[in-house]
Parts: sequence; C-alpha cells; structure tokens
Amino acid sequence: MRRNIFGWWAARVGLLIGPAGCAGNQSMFSPAGVDALATLNLFWVMLAGAVVIWFALNGLFLYVTRIHVGKMSRRLAEAVIIGGGILFPLVVLSALLIYSLPMMGEQRAPDDGLRVRVTAERWWWRVEYWPDGATAPIIAANELRLPVDQRTEIELTAGEVIHSFWIPALGGKTDMFPGRITRMTLAPSETGTFRGQCAEFCGLSHALMAIPAVIMEPAAFDGWLREQALPATSSGAGRAVFLREGCGACHAVRGTPAAGRVGPDLTHLGGRTALAAGILPMTADALRAWITNPEAIKPGAEMPAYDHLDESDLAALAAYLMGLK
Amino acid sequence: MTDRDQGTYPPTEKMLAQPVPDDVAKGQEERLRKVWAQPPGWRYWSAVNNTEVGVWYCLTATFFMLLAGILALLMRVQLAVPENDFLDADRYNQFFTMHGSAMMFLFAVPIFEAISILILPSLLGARDMPFPRLSAYGFWCFVIGGIFVMGSILFDAAPNAGWFMYPPLSTEHGGIGTDIWLLGLSFIEVASIAAAVELIVGVLKCRPPGMRVNIMPLYAWYVLVVGGMIVFAFPPLIAGDFLLEMQRSFDWPFFDPERGGDPMLWQHLFWIFGHPEVYIIFLPSIAVTAMIIPTAARRPIVGYSWIVLSAVGTGFLSFGLWVHHMFATGLPSISLGFFSAASEAVVLPTGIQIFAFVATLMVGRVRMIHPMLWIAGALAIFVAGGLTGVMVAIVPFDWQVHDTYFIVAHLHYTVFGGMLFPVIGGIYYFYPVIAKKQLSERLGRWAFWLAFTGFNVTFLPMHLTGMRGMPRRVFTYPGDLGWNWLNMISTIGAFVMATGLLIFVYDLLRPKGKQPDPPRNPWDAGTLEWTHNVPAESWGIRSIPYVNTRYPLWQQPKMQQRIDAGRYYLPDAQEGKRETLVTSVIDAHPLHVQRVTGPAWITIWAAVFTGGAFIFPTFHWYPPAIVSAVLAVACVIYWNWTSTAEIPEAETKDAGLGLRLPLYVSGPDAVGWWAVWITMLADATAFSSLVFSVFFYWTASTQFPPQGAGFANPVLMAIGTGLVVASWALTAWARRDAGRGAMAALAVAMLAACAGGGVLILALWLPDMDPTAHVYPAMMWALVVWVIVHLIAGVVLQGYCLAGLAFGKITRRYDAPLWNSLLFWHFLCLTVLVTGAMVAIAPRLMT
Amino acid sequence: MSHDKQTSDARQFAEESASLTRITAAPLAWAAHFALCYGAAAVWCVKWPGPIGQMLPLRVGLGVATVVALAIIGWLGWRSWQQWDLLDDYDYEHEMGVGEDRHEFLGHAAFLLSIVSFVGVFFTSLPLIFAATCR
Repeated sequence: MRRNIFGWWAARVGLLIGPAGCAGNQSMFSPAGVDALATLNLFWVMLAGAVVIWFALNGLFLYVTRIHVGKMSRRLAEAVIIGGGILFPLVVLSALLIYSLPMMGEQRAPDDGLRVRVTAERWWWRVEYWPDGATAPIIAANELRLPVDQRTEIELTAGEVIHSFWIPALGGKTDMFPGRITRMTLAPSETGTFRGQCAEFCGLSHALMAIPAVIMEPAAFDGWLREQALPATSSGAGRAVFLREGCGACHAVRGTPAAGRVGPDLTHLGGRTALAAGILPMTADALRAWITNPEAIKPGAEMPAYDHLDESDLAALAAYLMGLK
Repeated sequence: MTDRDQGTYPPTEKMLAQPVPDDVAKGQEERLRKVWAQPPGWRYWSAVNNTEVGVWYCLTATFFMLLAGILALLMRVQLAVPENDFLDADRYNQFFTMHGSAMMFLFAVPIFEAISILILPSLLGARDMPFPRLSAYGFWCFVIGGIFVMGSILFDAAPNAGWFMYPPLSTEHGGIGTDIWLLGLSFIEVASIAAAVELIVGVLKCRPPGMRVNIMPLYAWYVLVVGGMIVFAFPPLIAGDFLLEMQRSFDWPFFDPERGGDPMLWQHLFWIFGHPEVYIIFLPSIAVTAMIIPTAARRPIVGYSWIVLSAVGTGFLSFGLWVHHMFATGLPSISLGFFSAASEAVVLPTGIQIFAFVATLMVGRVRMIHPMLWIAGALAIFVAGGLTGVMVAIVPFDWQVHDTYFIVAHLHYTVFGGMLFPVIGGIYYFYPVIAKKQLSERLGRWAFWLAFTGFNVTFLPMHLTGMRGMPRRVFTYPGDLGWNWLNMISTIGAFVMATGLLIFVYDLLRPKGKQPDPPRNPWDAGTLEWTHNVPAESWGIRSIPYVNTRYPLWQQPKMQQRIDAGRYYLPDAQEGKRETLVTSVIDAHPLHVQRVTGPAWITIWAAVFTGGAFIFPTFHWYPPAIVSAVLAVACVIYWNWTSTAEIPEAETKDAGLGLRLPLYVSGPDAVGWWAVWITMLADATAFSSLVFSVFFYWTASTQFPPQGAGFANPVLMAIGTGLVVASWALTAWARRDAGRGAMAALAVAMLAACAGGGVLILALWLPDMDPTAHVYPAMMWALVVWVIVHLIAGVVLQGYCLAGLAFGKITRRYDAPLWNSLLFWHFLCLTVLVTGAMVAIAPRLMT
Repeated sequence: MSHDKQTSDARQFAEESASLTRITAAPLAWAAHFALCYGAAAVWCVKWPGPIGQMLPLRVGLGVATVVALAIIGWLGWRSWQQWDLLDDYDYEHEMGVGEDRHEFLGHAAFLLSIVSFVGVFFTSLPLIFAATCR
C-alpha cells in the first residue's frame, strides 16, 4: 500500500511526533495497515478544516471585541448567524459524513480467508487461528501474527469483563464482551512488529495488557502457522520442574501432559516476541522474575508466586520455557 | 382577565406613577424584613431561603470540585514519568473513578442547580423559589450523599471501576465501592431531579406579571430546557442503578451473560443519561454567557429567537447521540451511522448560539468587562473541544481515538470551555448580586492567565499523546513508546492551572469586610437581578414589578425607583407570611399569591433519614435502612402537613396596584400540581427505561424468555391490575366528592391497592419464577417491584388525603392534596396497566 | 404601552396555552424519525443479518419514513412561518411584552426549530445511502 498525498506531511510531522519503541510502535501516525492509513488521512483533512475554523472564529471574536469595538451593521450580524450557524456547517458536515460513512463498510470488509479469534482474559490474550477450512484452531497466546496485504477477520470475545482490542498502526479498536462475539477486520500493508494494547478499562492491571502484532510475508506466515500447529519440542531438566510444580494445571504445552486451559498456552512460548501480555521482553531473566512473583509485575494476576523454587530449578525452568520455540 | 382575580390588570401608567407615602413604605419594609429574616445564631442552618441555600450549595459544590481536582493532580504526578510507583494500581483506579464521578455528579450538575437556585428568583423578580424547603432538602441530601461518596476514598474503599461503572467489571470486581457509587449517587440524582422540578416550576409559574415567554431572560429559557433534560435524562440512569444494585445485592442477573443478562444494556442506559448530561452541564454556561454578552455589548441580544431555538434544539438532539460513546462496541454500521449523523447535526444549534453572541458583539459597542475575559477564554477552549467533537463523531476516527488520551483532551476542552470558564466568568459577573462585594480584577487576571495557559499546556499535548497510542485509565506506561515528555508537560501544566484556580478560590473566599459597598448595578446591565438591594435585604425584591420588556432596567427607566418604593405587587406582608406571586405559563398573567415555606429543621431530618435509606443498604444493613426510609417518609409527611396547602385566613388578598388575588388554588393552577406533574414525567421515564430493557433483551438475545420458561399467572395478574385500577377509580371519585363519601372511598381504595400489590406479587411467586435463575424472571420481578414501591407511595398519599379530610385540612374548597395525589395515581394506574401487559402478555408473544 | 393596546391584544392573541409545547412539534418529528430508524435497523440487523442487497426493504421503508418526516416538518415550518408573519412588519425581535410579539415569537422559534429538525432528519437519512450495512 503506497502512501498518498498526505504521506509527505505524515512523514514530516512524523519526525516531530512519530514514535519508536523497542516493543514496536503504537502510534496512529505511522500506519502499517490500510484502515489506519485511511483514518489518518481522514484526520489530516479534519485537522486542516478545524484549524481554519478555529482561527476564523476566534479571530472574528477578537476583532469585534478588541479591534472594531464600535457598532457594525445589523444585517451583517444576521448574515453571520445564518451563514456561520446554518449554511456553513450544513455544507461542511454533509461533505464530511458523505466522505466518512462509507469508510465503515470498507474497514469492516470481509476477510480473505484467515480468521483469528482473540479472547481477552484478565490480563492476557488467547489467540486462535482458523485458516480457511480449518476444523480445529491453532492455539497461541499474547501475540498476534498476520500475513501482509490480505484482510483477516478478528473475532473478539472476553472471559470475565469487557476489554477492547486495538493495534493503532493497523486500524481502529473493537470492544470485547463476555458472552458475545464482536468482529473486526484488519488489512496490514507493511511487515514489522506493532504494539497493541487493551483500550477498555478492565480492572487492576488494565495498564499492563499489551499485545505485539507481527506482520509477516504470506509465505513466512504460512510456515510459522504450520510450526505453531506442531507440539512442543523443548526438553531438559526444566520440563520435569514444570510438570512437578503443577504448571500444567493452568498451562498447556502440547506434546506433554500439561493441558491446562486457565492460563496462556505455552507450547511455543519461546518463539514469541514478548512475555506476560507484551510487558516483558522474552528473556530468561524476565521469565525468572515473572515466575518468582507475578503479582509484583502485574498486580492482580492470578498466577501464584513460585518463590520457593531454588536457583537451579528456576534456571532450568526458564531454559525449558525459552526453548519452547 | 380570568374570573377569579378581581381588580385592574395590567396596571396603568397613572397607577404606577402614584407615589407611595413614606410612612406606609417604612411600615411595609419593616414587616417584610421581619417575615423574611434569617433565623439567628445556630438556627441559621435551618434557613431555607434561596439566598442562603444557594450560597451553601455553591460552596459545597466548589469544595467537591477542589477535592476532585486534587485527585487529578495526584494522578498527574503518577503519570509524570513512566513506570512510576507514586500511586499503586488500585489507588490510581479509585482516584480516576472518583475524579470523574465527583466532577460530574458533585460539581458540574449541582453547581448549575446551585447557581440557578441562587439567582433565578432575582432574575425573575421573585421573592424566592416556589418550594424553598424542597431546595433545602435537596441541598442537605447533596451534602450527605457527597460526603459519603467522597469520604469512601479515605477508607480506601472508593469506587474503582471508572465513572461509567461498566458491568461486569463493576459487578464482579468492584467491591463495596460499586455499592457506594450506585446508592450514593442515586441519592444525589434524586436530589438533582427535585431541584430540576423546582427550577422548571420557578420559570413557568413564578415570573413577574407581564413577563411573557418572549421577553423572559435567556437564562430562564436555558433553565427550562436543562431542567427538562434532567427530568428525562437522569431517570434512565436511576433505572440502570436500580438494576445494577439488584444484581449486586440480590444476584438478579441483569448484566450477567451466563444467565441471559447483557452488559450492553447498562451501556445504553448509562449513555442515554450520559450524553444529555454533557449538554446539561454545557447549556447553563451558555446561559450565563447569554446574560454577560448583552451587558458587555451594551445592547439587547441579537437573535433572541435563534438562541431559544438553539437551547430547545440542543435539548432534543442531545438525546440522539448516546451511541457515539459506544462506537467501538461492534454495533452494525448502519446504526453507528445514525448516531454519527445526529452527532454532527447537534453542531448546528451549538454553532448558532456562538454566532448569535458574536453577532451581538458586532452590533454593540463592546466594553471588555472582566467576566468577558473568561468568556473569551472559554470560547477559544470550547471551539477547540467542539471541533475535536466533530472529529470523534466520525466513526472510523473514533475507532482509533476512542478510550485514548485524545478523548481525555477532547472532553476536558469541552467541559473547561463549555462549563468551568463561563461559570467562573459568571461568578465574577454575578458576585455583586450574591455577596454585595466585588472580586478583585487584578487577582482575576492572574487567575485567568494561569488557568488558561496551564489548561492548554496540560490538555493540548494530550491529543498527541492519545494519537501516539496511549489509552486512558492506565496507571502506568512503558518508557519507550514516545509518551514520556508529553506526559511530563501535561503534569507541569496541571499544576500551573491549579495555581490559577486556587487564586480564584482565594479571591472568592477571602474576607472582604473592609471593601466598600459596590454600586448596585456595577456593569450597567439591563435585567432584573440588578435591582437587588445593597447592602443586602432578605426579602429578595422589595415589590414584584410589572415587566413588559426584555431589559427592563434599560427599557423601563422608572422601574428601579418604583420597585424600591414598593409601588408594585406584594409590597407588604400584613399577615406575617412569606409570599410570592404565581403567574400564568405563557403570558405571566397574575393568578394567585403563593404562601411559601419558612425556616425548618424538618428538611434536614428528612434528608438525614433519606440518606440512611440509601446508605445503609451499601453495607447490606437492611433493617436500619427500612427504619430510615419510614422515618424519611414520616418527616416528609410532617413537613407537608404542617406547612403546605394551608387553609388561608381569607379567600383573596390585596396584591397591590388594585389587584385582589386568591390565596388558595388547587389543580393545574397550583404550583404543587405542576411539580407533581413534572416529577411524574421523570418517574414515567425511569419506568419506560425498564420497559425498554425488556425489549432490549428480546432483540439482543434469542433466549428471552428462555425455552420452557414459566409465565406469570395471568388470572392473578389481571386481578391485581384490576384492584389497582379500582383503587385509582375510587381516588378519582374521592377527588370529585371531597366530602364524607370521599373518606370511605379512600379507605376502600387503600385496601384495594394493598390487596392489588399482594396479588401482583403472588402472580409471580406462585409460578415459582426465580429472579436469580435468569434475566427473564428477574426483569419481570423488577417491573413488579417497581410497581409495589409506587403502590406504597400511592397508599401513603391516599392515607394523607384521608387524614386531611378527617381533620379538616382538606375540604371541598381547599382540595389541593387530593388533586396532587390523584395526579400521582393517574401515572400509577398507567404504570400498572403497562406492567400487567409486559409481565402477563408480552413474554408469551416474544417466544 | 397603552392600556387600549393591551386589551386589543387580549382579544387578538388570547393566551395560547398549548403553544409552548407546540414549538417542540418539529423536534419531536425528528425524534420519532430517529427512533424509528434506530429501532428498525437494530431489530433488522439482529433478526435478518445478511448481505447488503437484503437490506433493500429496510432502506426503502426508512426512506419513505424520511420523506414523510421531512414533509411533516416542512408543513410545520410553513405553519410557523405564517404565525411568525415576518412580511407584515418585518419584526424578528419580538421584544415587547405584548400578545402579538409573544405570538410571533413562538412562530419564529418554531420556524427555526423546523429548519434544524429538517437538517437533522436529512443527516439521519445519509447512512441509509452511504452506510447501509449490518456488518
């Protein structure tokens, strides 16, 4: 997707206001999706109009209260009411509505074959991939991967409370309700990693519920998805610790006895870009910190603290989990 | 000329020109002063005058505003740097919930009512509001409820689910804070509706003779519109509160998706209230501006009709916008489109108001009095907020910025520009009327420039923060997303703004004892409030003028002198009673002399017990709650029995200028009847919200009612409904008869109502409809519970009338309570019939 | 203001007790149209969600409703224009406390409200053309 006439401005202004973070960008000013770009262009149009109107109105006010304080013609004053209050907004707002109303349909256009179901939990994300014709989902968590240049349907729901799914670089947000399915579609136009975050207040750790979105070339995506469908390959001492400590009661690692559904599926944990719903880097140290005391990192998190594990167990566990590519 | 009043109306110029002898005037003044005097010493707090209650109300609301402001500053400190640990997550969540709730419910709406109670009577040349004790009762409810809700923060128990209280978060994880929010704020909402009823009646019925609707001050038009909006907007929230609290307390699953409930219903009910609410707080500020602009331009407003159109038009359109707070909920595009379109349509009336002001300034010879500085600042801020409002009403853009700091910026631009700045400008403007002193212009300039600069430094960058991806309501954020310096700037700005506002509050409260009395009309304005007395007199206005221009002080040059001389109406208080004049709705034709209530403690007791009835259930202490409710009702009965609809010593009295007016009227001529009518409109709106809920569940789910669900017993429903209708018919007959037969009829009617209520309960009880099992039985029970509560009130009213007849308080001639009770019963009868249909018939058709 | 003028007013412009509610007729027409559009679309999309072509009955139905609403508002506007009676005296201020001014003022306000309501209905009809989908 090529940037249009606003791209130049977007790039210029982007120098000033554009973002960059190691977790991927979360800004509307660097769109990487068809919908985000269309919305950004809409914004520039509206902003230009708004700036002109603001200066005109306040300038007029300043003029009549400070510069020309004397009496002006009554006819002119009435023309201002009719022109400014009725005719001008009628024309401008009709145009704006006609420009923007069809965009809803475009941004909710049907998918090109892939469907992803995201379920928001407190405070992480279940992610299930349903390629065309699939009968069972490919399960992942806390990371969304999409192929570039095609539209994917995101089916949204939630476990306990309302959340909202939002990846600013790709498009707008849609709320996620328990007991109800909402839908949106996204059409990424650039590859890369982009950060998303829960946008509807969902309680204690609402601030700590992010999701990286990795946009891949279609071929690479297909390969990745095939690997995701496979069971885990990691082994080593940590695997025993994992099973001994009962992690499998909540977490699933396909290919092992661990089949819990309460917490995130960890089958390919080590291959993900971030840990604990986008708030920690995927490193052994971060894993150890998380396992030792999740509450300190994410207040209210349901996972208990495993602070009784000794140094060697912890190291083994972290190594095992990092190995779940 | 109606058939009841006798004498000359309107007064001739000759009558008005006749001087009042000095000794007569002196005697009148003394009697008026005595009647309207404030109680001395500690009894001062039993005062009910609008001049006292209004000031307390304003100061209390300002106090809550400062507390909510402090919460905001603490939040800004937390957000100044990334990964900060100044506040923990839970405390931060409590703070932002309370900041929003307090600013909305404890400041923005109450300050409108406070200012209106304070100045409306003087704008209309009235002595007081029509129901002074009701204002006092509302105020004390507000104080008790406000302290209860606000105080919870000291116990770390404050609501923490955001000021929209979305379930399931608020039902499943809210803790006691949710109950505090629901019950405490419902309590305050009831008080708000009471104040709105009083303000509407004040505008419609308490204008001075001759002030037809086309010449009443624009402020009064806005009060009328905003009062009407409160009457229709608050009840859906009260209905929602009722449902949510039933789920919290008794596990009735209205919002639980597992049992057929739907969290979306709360969002609809909340925002059907929540969007008009935005205009409820915005329009009064426009009203204040509409009073200041002509004074600054030194000429009458240009486009009076345009502004009236805007007020009424905004009032209507604001009810068609609520879904624009729900654009991201996944509703169909076509539905979103309707609300997007309506949200843009409301730009027209809003713009017209602003352009009418500009037009007035164009045609006039402007002088920049100090309040105009705040108005200019407000315009700059509000227009920016309005323009971002146009943007967020566009659906795809809202999908991006919804629930981000862009919205935080937008809403603060609208509330500062559309509410706070004009209100402060208004306080500078009206201060001489209220306090008989003036505020410092020098401090005012400091306050303005600090607040204005600080405001923009705080909130302008937030647009950018939001578009760079920062969601609202986050207690912390990572340092690598490009939000750090934006947040730091906002925090610095917040403190600059707070300094400015503190200077204003200091100026407001600092002792001004040594300051000389200000001129009576310092701004050279044209409306009636500037006929006030300096130094203060408690009588409100010396005599109630005959008004036939929009700016009487400009256009009726002898008015001030004649008011002061006691030339006009009600210049005396011979019988030692507080009185004000009631006039007709459209043309302000004098109708009768209304005796208004004086100082009393009973209003405070009534407020305390009403508070108990709402506050005890928070802690699930139901017996004391029931006792409180009974005592509250007892207090209200006592207060009505002892001070309203008293049988006067004479049929008519000399109202001045050769006009004799009745002292007692009933039915549609009486202000009390109007108050009941408007209150019942609000009540019917709340009930309609429950009916809407039934249809909402039906459209939102295929499981309403669920397969195989039981139905209410149709025979019992019919009998119960029939008994209540019979009770209504008997009450209607009693009103007609108003004699010995009426007493018997009322006694039977009470029995029929009680029996009817019992049978309605049985109709659901016998088929074993368990309200905790599914939302369908819960909803049916909710309708019946609603009816039962109203039946209790209806029986109390019947009993009151029965006692009134028995003890001679009510007679064939003096029958106002019968009219008012019957009006209540008309609505109750309708409610029962609809409930009968909704419970017994509708579910059978829905399956 | 002379006494004679007042009494002649009283004859000509007897108090219109219903006229305060009458100025709300046009906004009420807007509200009814809006509620109908919202309600019909909500029920339609729940009960018969589907591709765009299937919405034709809904769009046509609401289109007819729009025309009816616009006609009603237009008629109300015409009536209030006559009540305003601008052309008899070119009075658009109505600032005196006499019956005629009050009468014309209410007409004027109702006329302006019809204009705003007309625009409101027009805006509400735009999604029927440009966003007619349940998706």
